[in-house]
Amino acid sequence: MHRKSITLFQSLRFRLIASVVSIEIIMLSLLVWNNISIIQATHTDRLRDTATSMIQQIARTSGNYMVAVDYATLEDYLSNIIDYQELSYLVVVDRDEHAVIALGKSPVLPWPVLETHPAQVTDGVFDVSGVITVAGQPMGRVLMGFSLSLMDEAIRKSRTRGISIAAAEIVLTVMVTVLIGLGLTRRLGILAAAAQEVGKGDYSIMIPVEVADEVGRTASAFNYMVTEVSNRTQELEAAESQSRTLLAENRNLVHTSLNVQEEERKHLARELHDELGQCITAIQADAESIRDLSRDCDTRINTSAAAILDVSSHIYEVVHSMMQRLRPGILDDLGLEEALKDALAAWQERNPDTPCRFYVSGDLASLGERINITVYRIVQECLTNITKYAQAGNVTIALTGTADRLILDIKDDGRGMDVSAPRTGLGLIGMRERVEALGGEFALDSSDGEGLSIMISVPLTGEEAQA
Amino acid sequence: MSILLRCTAGPRSACTALCCSLLLTFPVLVAAEKNRHCQESAPLVFGILPFISAEQLVYRFTPLVNYLSENLQVPVRIETAPDFVEFARRTHEETHYDILFTAPHFFTRANQKAGYRLIASVDSPEMWAVIVVPKQSEIHTLQDLEGKRLATVPPLGLATLLARKTLFEAGIDPDVDLDMVITPTHDASLLSSYHGVTDASALMQPPFEAASEKVRDSMRIIARTESTPHIPISVAPWLGEACAAEIAELLVNMGSTPEGKAVLQHNRFTGYRQGDPSVYESLNDLLSR
Repeated sequence: MHRKSITLFQSLRFRLIASVVSIEIIMLSLLVWNNISIIQATHTDRLRDTATSMIQQIARTSGNYMVAVDYATLEDYLSNIIDYQELSYLVVVDRDEHAVIALGKSPVLPWPVLETHPAQVTDGVFDVSGVITVAGQPMGRVLMGFSLSLMDEAIRKSRTRGISIAAAEIVLTVMVTVLIGLGLTRRLGILAAAAQEVGKGDYSIMIPVEVADEVGRTASAFNYMVTEVSNRTQELEAAESQSRTLLAENRNLVHTSLNVQEEERKHLARELHDELGQCITAIQADAESIRDLSRDCDTRINTSAAAILDVSSHIYEVVHSMMQRLRPGILDDLGLEEALKDALAAWQERNPDTPCRFYVSGDLASLGERINITVYRIVQECLTNITKYAQAGNVTIALTGTADRLILDIKDDGRGMDVSAPRTGLGLIGMRERVEALGGEFALDSSDGEGLSIMISVPLTGEEAQA
Repeated sequence: MSILLRCTAGPRSACTALCCSLLLTFPVLVAAEKNRHCQESAPLVFGILPFISAEQLVYRFTPLVNYLSENLQVPVRIETAPDFVEFARRTHEETHYDILFTAPHFFTRANQKAGYRLIASVDSPEMWAVIVVPKQSEIHTLQDLEGKRLATVPPLGLATLLARKTLFEAGIDPDVDLDMVITPTHDASLLSSYHGVTDASALMQPPFEAASEKVRDSMRIIARTESTPHIPISVAPWLGEACAAEIAELLVNMGSTPEGKAVLQHNRFTGYRQGDPSVYESLNDLLSR
């Protein structure tokens, strides 16, 4: 397992920060927009109310001065009002629309178009007017212009302040989120690295639990898991080691058994040859002597001697056959190649409809006894299987000896077999065990309807070759 | 007449209708011609002495001004001045007030200095000033006023002049024995003692009668001054004779129409009569004091 690099968008840290910042920006933008709208509405309403209030007050209080044509006093009175910062101009006109008092940057005729709300202003001055009345009688008008510059400046300041606060909050949020994200992902990174080390088999690693938060709890759980995995792995390794030992012992036992079997066969064949063979030969010799001696004197003796000779010959053939199966003498006498040719010839006689071609190459003369008997037994087992199951049309056996390996390749074009299916027989298992006992490799390749191929490769070490 | 004569040839009904129309519109045309005398001077400024507050003044005289405006078919506007002195100055030095509604003694000066012509007077008995105190006051005679505060209108006001004369005649020197507190109007003078700011008030009898019942009933008159002719109404010399006559006619005949009666009732006047300048000559002596 190796650590993969992650893209920016896969990064939990990036996604966390991006999500928080996006939400912050959206919500703060809405908040700032809403605040600015409220501030703007508040300022405009405030200016409208101020203008309305001032107009009403001036219109109400100016009436007496207008009736008395006391413009000087009225101007004194209004001069105090014109000091109001937002007031741009203040004009009082009489009933003939003649300006009798003009304070500030007064407008020129025609009088400005009046507005009812600062939102309608297009020239930067909120123009309002009120009728001056006394006892319900109109005495003139007062026109007032309120500059929006102060209001706009206040709104601009509020907007700037709001945006600054929002920006500061975003920056702080980003910083805090980055710090939290770094702390979180750093510990997650430690977890990931530790997991990789565990994957590599290092169960000694333990993650320090700094904070008892979710990640800390995960780290504790990870440590517990690693401990448990370590214990279970040790148990499994011990069990595997034990199994491996048992398997090796079993394999040795099998190999020993095979060797013992071969030795017993060899011994039995030798005993049959040396003891029973000699006896049968002696019986045959005596039977021939009796038959020859009795040929002219007693027909019954002659007949019995001939019968004994036949029976002993039959016994000899049976014993010889048993000896060949137990331990082909030709293998010890003429070597592997000749022994195989002999076995193949015998098999061909029993299976005349299945041509079997045998190819030999390389030096096979110096092979050890174990290799010879192993190869011989494998070929013997394969031919038996072909006869029993393969229904093959052709069989090819190739035996190749190289400097360091002996390779046997047996192929038939029979019905083949499913190599993955569980097998109940011991033939293939025995072949594999024999090969592996020599440190060789056994390979089986087949599928239904496409024949079967068995290849073995046995190393020709000096020891094995001479054994 | 020629139209009437030729009507015999046309449809009789049409001719009758035309003639009736002409007959009906003739008085209107005559009236319209009659009401054109003041057109040249439009709008007319009705100058009123600020003897009461501007609010009260406009309230009280708006019906009269509207009546004149409707009948003269010219706009008539109320104007006053901040105080008596300024009103007198404007009367004498400016060609501002076309119609003058002022105190009797101011009229004599206006007549002499600016040539204002009397056209009518308020048709009421003579008027006078009164000196009043709160009912629960311990002041019962003029002598009790010594050392007290007496509220009155500005020095040139008729009430002040009459009160001073009365006090002098009672052996009291208002400049020495009293603390004269000047208030801008008769209303202010009355209310100052009503509220206890001063001990007594001197004001003309008509404004006192026009005061609210609550105020009036809580005050007690301790003295009344000599009488003077009632309010004169005069016109500026630049106003034509025909216009002046028309205004005078409207004022004198005001009581003959329901609208005029309503106006008079609103002003608490019984009516107007032809002006007689000679009755105001006696006031010259009052101003000379």
